[in-house]
Amino acid sequence: MSLIQISGLKKQFQGTEVIKGLDFSLDKGKCIALLGPNGAGKTTTLRMLSGLMNPTEGKITFTEAKKGEDIRDLIGYLPQFPVFYDWMTGLEFLSYVGRLAGLPAKEAKDRSLELLKLVGILDAKNRKTAKYSGGMKQRLGIAQALIHRPKLIMLDEPVSALDPIGRREVLDLLEGLKKETTILFSTHILSDAEEVCDEILFLHNGGIVESGTMTELRERHQQAKIDLFFRGKAVQYASFLENHELTQSVMLEGSRVSIFVKDIALARRAFLQVIAEQNWPLEKFEVSSMTLEDVFMKVVGK
Amino acid sequence: MNQWLTLLQKETLEMWRNFKWIWVPITFILLGVKEPLTAYYMPQILDAVGGLPEGAVIQIPTPSAAEVLISGLGQYTTLGVLIIVLTTMGIIAAERKSGVAAMILVKPVSFQSFITAKWAGSALLMWVSFFIGYLATWYYTGLLFEWVPFDQFLQTFFFYGLWLTVILTITVFCSASLASPGMAGFISLAAAIVISLVSSTLSNWLEWSPAQLTTYGNEVLINQGISDQTLPAGILAVICIIILLSLSVFIFRKKELAA
Repeated sequence: MSLIQISGLKKQFQGTEVIKGLDFSLDKGKCIALLGPNGAGKTTTLRMLSGLMNPTEGKITFTEAKKGEDIRDLIGYLPQFPVFYDWMTGLEFLSYVGRLAGLPAKEAKDRSLELLKLVGILDAKNRKTAKYSGGMKQRLGIAQALIHRPKLIMLDEPVSALDPIGRREVLDLLEGLKKETTILFSTHILSDAEEVCDEILFLHNGGIVESGTMTELRERHQQAKIDLFFRGKAVQYASFLENHELTQSVMLEGSRVSIFVKDIALARRAFLQVIAEQNWPLEKFEVSSMTLEDVFMKVVGK
Repeated sequence: MNQWLTLLQKETLEMWRNFKWIWVPITFILLGVKEPLTAYYMPQILDAVGGLPEGAVIQIPTPSAAEVLISGLGQYTTLGVLIIVLTTMGIIAAERKSGVAAMILVKPVSFQSFITAKWAGSALLMWVSFFIGYLATWYYTGLLFEWVPFDQFLQTFFFYGLWLTVILTITVFCSASLASPGMAGFISLAAAIVISLVSSTLSNWLEWSPAQLTTYGNEVLINQGISDQTLPAGILAVICIIILLSLSVFIFRKKELAA
């Protein structure tokens, strides 16, 4: 069942169309990743959904909102760079936001403590937010988005600013939250999307260029692919492989060459032969299935 | 209402944490009390500083208590206004600039409450500071000169307070509609100066100008009674405040929080 429906959403800034007509809906209880390169319009889209920006055109409908209900009751939002009142402690900020969202004082405090524990910064509850590290701010930001148990939480690049450990922890946190609410989060890190999300929306140049579940995407873009890893630069080998009769297309990335082929069995034999004959400094030979990154490159490259 | 009180409580707590509740009243006391003290001790001060030729006789007429109070009030409409503008200019603009306003307003917070609670917080600080400061001025004037009747003190306090509130509301309005706190402060000060100047030069035509409330306050002190124009001027001041606040909410709501 869909929770929110977006149709014909457009946004212009001083005549430039940044979002060029989005149509999609989000299903209840799902975790959806909004994926796209920098400048694709991810943040703008989330800001419009959260009500911080007005769409130039288009409609956003919350299926569950009663007539006249403030949609802000239903959503929690974490901006890319969360800011707090730096003279407040983490606990004070959460309780404050909780009371603004309509919780009674006592309940707001209990809920704040519960969330501080959930996001793992309970120890810092009485520290001023000015003294929080980037990771702690991100966690407090997630906590404030959850305070009023919203139906939908939207997170703008929740893990991009974190170190690997923090990233791991926040992703695990999201994994746990999936049971409670619908999550929409934007990211340009593909593996994060692949890991936590059920569905993916690819955003590029202000439009959705591809969408679906991971399996759907794989099926749609399935292509036999062989990855070759060389010692040193792979440019010279790439150009050779590009002209090979079995090759469909080639992608070069430093010391890695990815070759999309028609027939994997034939290609494997042929390439291994070439490599042996010409004595190429090969480090790794990999027959791989399509990753999200490949889909991303393919879709964005169009 | 509950939400409004939560917002107001946050404002007062913030002013406590950043010591506005301490330094603003103290500055208001110093500004006002300076007048009776210097007026009273001027001959001694001149004496002590010296530098006057031998045998020079200085005749400084002792000012009346009303004159001393009026010059004290003059401090509030000049330097006091500066302080009000400086402490208020950022309350909305700075929060929007830092992004914290967006954090708060994605929660179901009404825009009216957000703006009016901020206004009420600043107004509370201003009225309390002005009361303490002016009370101290009145007390020292009574001690060193003559006691001005307390009801006259209250009347002038109220008239001047209303005018200061108009300026404060102009500042809140600028803070809500302009992007930078500095710009908001500058425009508010300019507006306050222009309104005062125009009202006093064209006082015959602008009897109902809220800025004239200060003149009517002064008339009370020099025992001329309450002018007939006071009530309309007061009502106009309240109307200005209400209109400016409504406009602030309107403009703030129209503006996109995330730029």
